[in-house]
Order: sequence, then C-alpha cells, then structure tokens
Amino acid sequence: MGIGLKASEYMSETLFNPVDYAVPAFILLIILEMLWVRHYAPEKYEPRDTLTSLALGTGSTVAGALFGGTMLAIAMWGYDYRITTIPWTWWAWIACFVLDDFFYYVFHRSAHRVRWFWAAHVNHHSSQHYNLSTALRQTWTGFFAFTFLFRLPLVFIGFDPAMILFVGAINLIYQFWIHTEAINKFPRWFEYIMNTPSHHRVHHATNPRYLDRNYAGVFIIWDRMFGTFTEEIEDEKIRYGIVRQLGTFNLLWSVFHEWAGIARDIWSAPWKHKLSYAWRPPGWSHDGSRDTSDMIRQRWLDRQHEQPAE
Amino acid sequence: MTPLVITLLKLGGSILAILFLAWLARSLGLGGDVRIRSDEQARAIADEIISGFDPVGIAIDRAGMGALMRDAQGRHLLIRRHGAHFAGRLLDNHSETRLDQNFLTVGTGERTFGRVTLNLGKEAQYWASGLRHLNT
Repeated sequence: MGIGLKASEYMSETLFNPVDYAVPAFILLIILEMLWVRHYAPEKYEPRDTLTSLALGTGSTVAGALFGGTMLAIAMWGYDYRITTIPWTWWAWIACFVLDDFFYYVFHRSAHRVRWFWAAHVNHHSSQHYNLSTALRQTWTGFFAFTFLFRLPLVFIGFDPAMILFVGAINLIYQFWIHTEAINKFPRWFEYIMNTPSHHRVHHATNPRYLDRNYAGVFIIWDRMFGTFTEEIEDEKIRYGIVRQLGTFNLLWSVFHEWAGIARDIWSAPWKHKLSYAWRPPGWSHDGSRDTSDMIRQRWLDRQHEQPAE
Repeated sequence: MTPLVITLLKLGGSILAILFLAWLARSLGLGGDVRIRSDEQARAIADEIISGFDPVGIAIDRAGMGALMRDAQGRHLLIRRHGAHFAGRLLDNHSETRLDQNFLTVGTGERTFGRVTLNLGKEAQYWASGLRHLNT
C-alpha cells in the first residue's frame, strides 16, 4: 500500500490523512515495546534489523510520493467509468472499508502466490524478527508490481478515490499493532472476526504448517471463508522471515533481491519457461530444483505421517 | 509552506526518528548474544533453515558463531549468526573452501551472505576434505 504525495494532497483536500496522525503513536509504541523486551527477551529486537525495517518504511513513503500521482491518475480515470456513484453516507464508509479489506485479502494472497507480486511484498517478510518495527517494513516497488490495480474494482463500483484512500490508510494503521509478540490472544469472539497478533504471527511464520496462511488485513473472516486460515498453536515455536533467509541487513538488497532473482532466472531459463519465473509461485523452478511453499508443507506432512505413533 | 516543503520536512523527521529508534535499540542492549552451544541446538537451527534437514555430522565453531552439518544424502549445510538469529545455505560445487590449520573458511558464492570462517579445531581438516568432494 502506498499513499504518495499527490494522493495525500488529494485526500487532504477532501479529508485528512490519518497516517500522518498515527506516526507519532507508531514511534511511541515501538519505544514501549523495546522497553518491554529489554528485560523479558532482548533478542526480540536487533538494532540493525530495526534500522533496516524503519528505513524500508521511510523509503516506501518516498516511493509513494514518486508514484502516487500516477496511481491517483489511474484511479481518477477509473472513476470516470464507474457503474454508479456511491454517496458520502455512513453506510458507504462501512461498505467501502469492508470491501477494501476484501480486495486487500485478494491482493495479499496474490502477493504470496505470484512471484512478480511477491518480489514487491517480500521485504515486509524478510526480517527474522516480529515486532512493531516489522510492521513499517513496507515495499518500495509496489508500483512496478501493479499492486494498486487490486483497489480499482472499488473505483469502478463508484466509491470516491478519496474515500478509498482514507479507508486504505485506516486498514494500514490497523495492521500496525498486530505485529507484536507482546499480546497473546484475545477473547474467542474477537479472534474469530478480527485479524489479531496471533493470526498475523502465523502469517509471518516460516514453519511449514504456517506457510502462506492468514492473508487478512483487518477481518480474519476472509481466510476462514476461503480456506486459508490456520490457528496459532501454543506449543510450537514460531520462526519468522522467509524460507531462504537473507542473511544480510543490506537495505538495497532487502528491497531488490527478489527482482534480481527474477531477472537472473528469466535470463538463464529456457525460452518456454522464462515467463513462468515471473508469474508462478515463489520457489517454483522448471527443473524442480527448488521448493515452493506447497512442496515444503507437503514434505513436512509426509514426515508427520511417517513418524510412528507413540 | 508548499506541499513539497512539508513532505521534505516529514521525510527529515522520519529519518531522525528512525536513527533515534535504532540508537535506542542499541543503547538498551537489545539483540542479545546468541551462540550455538550444543548439537541439539544446531539440529533445531538446521531444521528451521531447511525443513527436514537431519544432520548425521555436526561441527560447531568453537565460539558458537556458526556450524557445518552434513546429512545422510551428503548435503552440507553452513549456518552462521545473523544478528540475533541464524541464517544458512546449502553448499554446492560453487562453494569455496580454505583451510588454515583449525580454521575453515567457507564461501557460498553469494556476496551478500559472505564468507564464514569457523574454528573447528582438529575437525577442520576432515570437513575441508568433505567439502572438496562437493567441488569434484
């Protein structure tokens, strides 16, 4: 999600940008979490990892400023072809928020299942830590992955782009606080409906049972509806990051490593397989030499079945 | 103020804020000092890096900063500390090895991952020999 300069200007003409007001709270909460882990588990934060995550967040706002105008122009073009005009009423806000969250689910699921989209999204996952600073680990290259297209259906339906930007910003703010290990679980009814730290820890995990699960933004119900939900298990240690950990805090490599991988694979692959390295799932290879999430999970399941019952 | 100036001020504020938070994390001593202290821990790390990797041979760096492992299929896994965690790579015939008495330096061919020097004591020679077989 990128809210750029032009998009911000446009929104501020109609509404205020809630992210501007949330940033001080983000910083304060990160400080509180650091103070909390200091005695409880100092390894939950790592200064170089934190610096990389926050630099990715700042860089994403620059990328948003550079490309936000183009994205807004596309949204305004789409709005000219809307099938109806949704009025600025209370129910429109609710509908826009819920539908936006649904399209966020679609985007997010695609971002994990199509390597081209994954190349932009991977830097949100490449930290081996899971703390509030991880939430700000946002993409610089979302524009090239066409992530903004996933919100176009809302424009065609007839929601004003300013309203979409606003609810998108609220969605982004909601997702900040769920990037923490400081909160265990909420009451069952809340965990059933809402995305929570517990559900999102599963999403960031690389344990085979958790790979590519819990794509939700705000409402976990989308995962429950579309069969991608997995509950966090109490007695299994979660490991965070990506299947092939980067092993470096290099900022630029964190941003561009998957794009470089796509370029390298397309260059070296046989002609008939070249495009597959862009649109098939991360880890796919034409000679079967690498593993996708599905392959890793299946092998893990096979091993569970092979183990003799105690 | 023009929108551009406001944006630049916000950017400057963000950069100051992230530098402050990184400084705070360092001054609070966050990050810890993680080491590999046992074969059992090395096994667990190996399974985290390559799900299902079941080592039949393990050599841990004397300072616990990394380890080399081999499974029954002859695959060699190099792990090293990365911040407060560990990262690893399966070694292949592109890997470089250099033996200097008790110290074995292993390169993965991946510049950002870098070379890893392990103090393996007398085992260094044995592991160097095993890695040379990967290169033949």
